[in-house]
Amino acid sequence: MNAARVGAPLDLRALIGAFDDLLGRRVSMRALALLRVLAGPAVLLHLQPFLSDAADGRIYRDVFYQPYAAWYPELPDQVYVGLLWLGAAAAIAMSLGLLTRLATATTFAVVTYNLFLSTTHFHNNRAYLVIVLALLAAAPCGRELSLDAWLRRRRGRAALDLSAPAWPLWLLRFECAAVYGASGLSKLLDPDWFGGTVTWQRVLRARDDLETWPLPDWALSLLTDQSFHTGAAKLIVLTELLIAIGLWWPRGRYAAVWVAVVFHLAIEISASVQVFSLLAIAVLAIWAVPSTRDRVIRIDPTSVGQRRWGAVVRRLDWLARFRLEPAQPGSSLEVVDRDGTALRGAPAVGFSASRLPLTAWFALPALLLPGLRRTRAG
Amino acid sequence: MVSVVALQLGLVARGYWSDHKEFAFQMFPESSTWRADLVRVTADGRRVPIERPWSGYRWDELVTDRGLSYPSIRHHADAGLENQLAFLGSALDWVASNTPRDRETRYLEATVTSWHNDDPPRIEVLRSPVREGGG
Repeated sequence: MNAARVGAPLDLRALIGAFDDLLGRRVSMRALALLRVLAGPAVLLHLQPFLSDAADGRIYRDVFYQPYAAWYPELPDQVYVGLLWLGAAAAIAMSLGLLTRLATATTFAVVTYNLFLSTTHFHNNRAYLVIVLALLAAAPCGRELSLDAWLRRRRGRAALDLSAPAWPLWLLRFECAAVYGASGLSKLLDPDWFGGTVTWQRVLRARDDLETWPLPDWALSLLTDQSFHTGAAKLIVLTELLIAIGLWWPRGRYAAVWVAVVFHLAIEISASVQVFSLLAIAVLAIWAVPSTRDRVIRIDPTSVGQRRWGAVVRRLDWLARFRLEPAQPGSSLEVVDRDGTALRGAPAVGFSASRLPLTAWFALPALLLPGLRRTRAG
Repeated sequence: MVSVVALQLGLVARGYWSDHKEFAFQMFPESSTWRADLVRVTADGRRVPIERPWSGYRWDELVTDRGLSYPSIRHHADAGLENQLAFLGSALDWVASNTPRDRETRYLEATVTSWHNDDPPRIEVLRSPVREGGG
């Protein structure tokens, strides 16, 4: 027996211990709270066709459906329709953060029950929605951005701890990466996909629709050219796989998120994917570092422009990235990052915009500008 | 946590052989297309196209989902051919057993032409079980 073999069980124990520590460590639930707010509209959009059919007097079993299992309970018509409405009401309460834990669990239960009623109900976007709702229901994500928190403050009660064990966040991160990874891998392993046949054939079949778009002739020829798809398909597959990997890599995370947004917008324009784009873009918020108010923006209260930017940040800082502090009169706007790096003036505005969910996509490319990179390096 | 991760990875792997690929996240898997000639085969051997209403039923009112309402028109198989044809087979079975006013149909039959990506067409026949009391 050598030394390495003697040490192996200990190393494994240390690894398991470190993993346990990672999952149990208390982190900010802010990103999950924001996702909870955004998931409500996705649930309403998801339930809308079921509710619309119900309003027309039709439910799933009035037309072709296929139960997953004979034992799966099916409700009387009126109770089923009532359940759908309960799901919609719960989704609204979930977004507002009213009785948040109960509302989120109810939303999850209704959406999941409905999904498994029939194989015909199944779509990838609905599966992703169920996963997201399950993890939101498991996480205490109603302690901020919620009516519950507001009511608690109004009653003069102490705010609840905004941090919680990290495991739901890590699990959702895994699921998010798994969606891109599984999709990319299935295409990578399929010679027709990776070789470009699938995208080429789809574009050829949609040629009539394409011709109604305001595209120049050269673009139309390019899009219908097989050799273009030989390269484009590989780019699509690698994009999905790079998003899956890049999200885990701190230095590549912002690029991965930026590309993922473009990717989802492109899908939304070119295909019918129900709530997938909205949900997938919302879920990207969970890749924010789970700590809050650990960057500082110093604002000169005598400067109108700086005061305005402060107001913008206060309104749009949904992930609670920044702490706003007053600066000396006459000083320029300053942002201090987590590592102590300070930015002033326009670079500070660009950097802070890159950390606000609504403006990040527009501002992130600005961080690549040589001026800003030099400022940060300095 | 570990069990959920293992379950998810298992479901991703299962997607490579299951028809419906639940939680396998295989998006836009194929450019395959399909069409089918659907008929009702009656007790006296007639083959009646499904486009004609019968006994107060209409196919496109009974089967409204998964791109199956108008099978004679060539469609994209959104989630792949295996998935699409599995749904078509199940739809035949469901219609055969949920049309009690129909007393003449013995079974439903679909002659399916499918094109897997850019492969040559393949023809296969799907049939519902023989209906009890049909004819």
